[in-house]
Amino acid sequence: MAIAVFFVAAALAVLGGIGVVAFHQPIRSVLSLVVVMLSLSVIFLLLNAQFVFAVQIIVYAGAVMVLFLFVIALLGPARELGRGRLRFQGWLSALFVLVLLGLMWGLLQGVQYRQPDKGDLSFFGTVQSIGVGLFTTYLYPFELTSILLLVAAIGAIYLSRKRIDDV
Amino acid sequence: MSTLNIGGSQLDASWFLLLSAILFVLGAVGVLVRRNPLVILISIELMLNAANLVLVAFSRQLVNIEGQLFALMSMTVAAAEAVVGLAILVDIFRTRDAEDIDDLSEMHG
Repeated sequence: MAIAVFFVAAALAVLGGIGVVAFHQPIRSVLSLVVVMLSLSVIFLLLNAQFVFAVQIIVYAGAVMVLFLFVIALLGPARELGRGRLRFQGWLSALFVLVLLGLMWGLLQGVQYRQPDKGDLSFFGTVQSIGVGLFTTYLYPFELTSILLLVAAIGAIYLSRKRIDDV
Repeated sequence: MSTLNIGGSQLDASWFLLLSAILFVLGAVGVLVRRNPLVILISIELMLNAANLVLVAFSRQLVNIEGQLFALMSMTVAAAEAVVGLAILVDIFRTRDAEDIDDLSEMHG
């Protein structure tokens, strides 16, 4: 059962990833990315990551993608122009990607998996265990992300402000 | 090879890594081939998601919660990156029509 769920979700994720690259309309790329994120969230659920699953749907598929959609709605449908200035760009990137994929494949063959620690899987990945981790051992990184988000919010407001000389 | 017992069936940990590698490479293709700055940002998000999948998969394989915590941190960073990147894009599009990333190659201070 879990194997079937994994393969369906993986196939959807790969198809969505191809859609992100292949569609010419940016809005279709964004919707394909939503498909990828939803199928990845199913895989997170298979991997006992309930909280990450919920965050993936709420924050990623919900908030970040809606932000992308808003920007596309704001900028209007942009069409992709023809070829760029760099010649052979398609061939060069195909070569690069094949090398990258071969490298990853080679690394994957040599992975030595450590024996898993004997942990209790019944509490693994629950909100409780995540919360204990975030608020004890990793309290400082967790608080630092709030500063990061504040900086990002201020930066976004600064960059998208209305300039006086524009008007 | 390391098999994970998920709901009674045996899944191999390398399947998750392979899926993640495929998604990462697709994102890299998007960054290299596409010319629209918005689509390049979307492809970067795809690569970040692929990295998150590795973190969560190894977290499950080692029965160690820290991988999931790091995945949450990386989601926060990805959200911040998307916000700032889109704000820069909106700012650029306001002054000129930049449908091709090559139009933005002149960096005069």
